[in-house]
This record gives sequence, structure tokens and C-alpha cells, in this order.
Amino acid sequence: MKEKFKIALAQIGCKRADKKENLKKIENFVEKAKNQSADLIVFPELSLTGYVVRDQIYELAETIPGPSTQVIEKIAEKTQMYIVFGMPELSEKTQATIYNTAVLVGPKGYIGKYRKMYLPTHSVFEEKRYFRPGYQAVAFDTEIGKIGLIICYDIFFPEVSRLTRLKGAQLIVCISASPAVRKTFFEILTAARAIENTAFLAYINLVGIENGLQFWGGSRLIAPNGKVLAKAKYDEEDLVMCDVNYSDIKPIETFVPTLKDLRPELFDALKKSAENI
Amino acid sequence: MFVLKYLYYSIKNEATTLELKPSVLDLDWAEVASKIKRFIKDYVSKTRAKGIVLGMSGGIDSSTAAALSALAIGGDKVLGLILPEKETYNKKDVEHAKLVAKNFGIKTETVDITSTLENFYNSIPIFNPLDKVCKGNIKARTRMIYIYYYANKLGMLVCGSSDKSETMIGYFTKWGDVAADIHPIMDLYKTQVQKLAKHIGIPDEIIEKPPSPTLWPEQSAEKELGIKYENLDLILYGFEHFMKTEEIASQLGINETLVKQIKQRWLSTEHKRRILLTPKLEYRTIGADFRLPRDY
Repeated sequence: MKEKFKIALAQIGCKRADKKENLKKIENFVEKAKNQSADLIVFPELSLTGYVVRDQIYELAETIPGPSTQVIEKIAEKTQMYIVFGMPELSEKTQATIYNTAVLVGPKGYIGKYRKMYLPTHSVFEEKRYFRPGYQAVAFDTEIGKIGLIICYDIFFPEVSRLTRLKGAQLIVCISASPAVRKTFFEILTAARAIENTAFLAYINLVGIENGLQFWGGSRLIAPNGKVLAKAKYDEEDLVMCDVNYSDIKPIETFVPTLKDLRPELFDALKKSAENI
Repeated sequence: MFVLKYLYYSIKNEATTLELKPSVLDLDWAEVASKIKRFIKDYVSKTRAKGIVLGMSGGIDSSTAAALSALAIGGDKVLGLILPEKETYNKKDVEHAKLVAKNFGIKTETVDITSTLENFYNSIPIFNPLDKVCKGNIKARTRMIYIYYYANKLGMLVCGSSDKSETMIGYFTKWGDVAADIHPIMDLYKTQVQKLAKHIGIPDEIIEKPPSPTLWPEQSAEKELGIKYENLDLILYGFEHFMKTEEIASQLGINETLVKQIKQRWLSTEHKRRILLTPKLEYRTIGADFRLPRDY
């Protein structure tokens, strides 16, 4: 396993409901990142389709593996890169059950997926209308370390990141489609999740305007001590490269040993209290 | 900062209530202007429109919408239609519209709509000139027809100028002044539009004159509504934040009956804001459960 590798934060805007165009853009960004020696590239939440597709989601969702993941697998194989992107996933067992999913593909093909657990359905969001929530936190072993995946609103719930970290994730990848009025929340929470888990956290947000929602970009890589190592522009497409060096984790984990100090017995109390808000 | 204020409020809200003071309406005006400009530019580009047409009355809302349009896509792609009519003609208003157009490089065209209006009045068998509202609505809808003709003919979009205050309480003409493809300032209350206008350089004399829809002579929005915009905006902000009428009335030192009347105006005018209503008969229904993106 590599102790050090290069990550590319691919902050793109999507052409809504046009998978062909978006796949073309993804390929283009992967090639650009490859030319800058990236090992891993990450695209935003629902980057295959765009975020606000509403009822069109039923036509756009695909199984995983499926036609679009196969295209991405070929790109990954050709460039020998790891790729994370987001897409609406159609259940293999039913005809209209859809998940908001992050997919990890590597040089040797499909690796795994994560189904978003927390689906915002308030304010301008209507995810529970369309998606079924996931039930499992994930962390995948790769040649570039153990990678955990979470999606956007999951970051408001520390237990999701915590679970990926307890599964061994050294890098937590959060793909996102966050509109501008929530910028401050994400700028604070991304750093908090990195610090409290003593892990690297890569946050990749969408840009562009969909149905009046302005996605703010501001993608970033955060070190285990909360330092912003790289940051993409606000509001515009951008491709930002940064090194991830896992040897930085140990000194921080020693300095602020949050994992060593975890108190498992509190989680039972937490569960009981959460049932009675 | 906008978001920090929300963060503060949402944390505070558990223990106490939102404090209704003028500062709750403060926003980062540079950021607001930049978001609105991006919104306009993006929509014009997505729809492949050649530009924007809008009615310019010389009032603060249309002046602000026109200026933001010009700042977003360039004044040469914005056409301001000045559509005066005999009964409410005010030389100062026309001068103001022309001043904003000049300052922001907007082209204008002036069409006197008096004869069109008179033809309407004369040809409607039940027309009653004393019914100011019905007559005034003809003016707003006639202007809409002119504006949309130019938009169709020139391949342009129509930009609306309605603000959040008047839209929430239904103080507009259905299918009239609110008829537009985009509404760049509709999420800003009137007093917020005043601050944004100042920020982008709308002349003070326009910002400071009393707001009026000018549907009849001497019409004043605040007189007609029976409340100053400073108070109206805070009341509506309270509704927006789920506050109860008695809380709002007590904090602002206003009679609760007035607050209740405004709430009633807000709730009873949703038909003017969401205008396609049909009984549910089939699998997916227009207006009810077809959910499609607007800017597809």
C-alpha cells in the first residue's frame, strides 16, 4: 500500500439528466488529473446526472454495476486511477427503488459503493421522496489506503464518519451537492469530522445553478489536524491536486487521541436518548 | 454574515424566540448581488435567450432588477420598456427609468399605452371606471402583453421585478406585473431591495420615493396596505420563521389584529403564486405531482 499519494478534487458542474455529457466531462477531468500524476480523483454527489433532476430520476437511475459504472471502469483501467463519483442507483431487486450512491472504481475495476444514509427532506431538499436510505457505513481497502465514503448531509451526523473511521478509513471522502446558503455549515463540519476522527477528509462539492439552487464549490482536502491542505474556488469549476500522506495521521492521533479515548458505553445511552427527542 | 446568523438563530431557537429587529434583514449585499447576477447570467445562457426585456416604471424594484440584469449580461442585451399611460403619467418616474437605463447602459423604448387601455375600457360591456382595482389590473396585464411581445419577437426573456413583501401578501396583479420568466429579487423583502439598490448604485431619489404600483393616480403602497414596509417586512420575516402572530405583535408593539390581517393576506393569496390547479384524476398531474426541474 502506498503511504503517500496524490488526490484530485474534481469540482464540476453537471449537465442535468445528460449522462453521456457528464461521462464525457468526467473522462476529460480524469485525463487532466492523470497528466498531473493523480492516483485518485473525486467527483461530486450525483455527478453522473446532476442534482436537481426530480422525476427524471426514474429514467436515469442505473444498477451498480451497470452501463455507466462500466464506462467509468474503463476510464479507470485506461488511466490506472481510482475514481469516486455519485449516481442514482437502481435496486437490482425492485423496479423503482433508488439510492443516492457514491461509487469507488479502481485500476482493476469496480471496488464498492456507499448508499447515502441521511437524506435531507426539508427546505429545498426532497431526497426522501426519491431515495431509499442506505444502512451501512463503508471503508474499502485499496492500494492507496483505506477509503471511506460518505455523502453530503451525512456530515451533519458524526456517527457516519466515525463508523467509516472505525472500519479503518484513513481518508474519508465526502461527495456533496450543497447550495450556497449552507456554506458555513460545511466549512466547519468538514474540519470537525477530520479532527475528531484523526483522518484525512476530502470534500468535493458541485458547482453551477440547478433550479435556482446555487452550488458553492469550495471543495477541499483537510488534514487530520483540521488544516485545509488544498481548496478549490468558490462557485466555479476547478481541479485541485494535493498530496495525502498517511504518515501525518500518527502524530496527530497521538497528540489528540480521540480514537483511543472513545467511550463505547456512551453509545448505548446515545441510542436510548435519540429515541426520545 | 447571512449563514452565521442562521446558525446562531437555530441554536438559540430552542431556548428563546427570534428577536425581530431591523438587523435580522441585513445580508452581505455584495454576495447577494453576485448570486443574483450569476442566477440571471446562467438562466439566460441555459435558455439561449438573446437578452432580457423588462418593464421599467422608474420605481425601486424595476430599477434594481434592470440594473442587476445589465450587470449580469451587459446593458446592451437588456431592453427596458417604459410604458406610461395618461392617467398615472408622472414625468419624474419616466426620468428615473431613463436615468437608471443611462447609468447601466440599458437600451429603452417608450410606448404610450393609453389608447390600448381606452380600447379595452370601451369594449368591455360591464366595464366600470369606478372600480379602481379591476381597472388597474387591466393596466398591469396590458403592460405584460407589450413586454412579452418584445420578448417573443426579439428572442429574449422577461425579467420580473416583484419583491418578497408584495409577492407574499399578494399585492400584485395575477398574470400582470408578476408574469415573467425569472424573478431575480423575489427572495428579498422591500427594505432589503432598498439596501441592495443602494449597494449597486441606484440613485437615492429613486430609493427614497414612496413605493407605488401606479395603477391609479396618487396610489401609495404603504397607505393602501395600512403599514410601513419597515414593519411589514419584519412581520413577514416572522411568518417566514414560523413565529406566532401574538409573538410578532408583542415584539413589534403592533396591534395583533393587523398582524393577523397580514397573515390572512399571505395565506389567502397562494392562488396568485402557484397558479395551475386541477383536480387529481390521473397517474401524474400538472401542478400537483409532476415534479420536474424548471431550468431544464
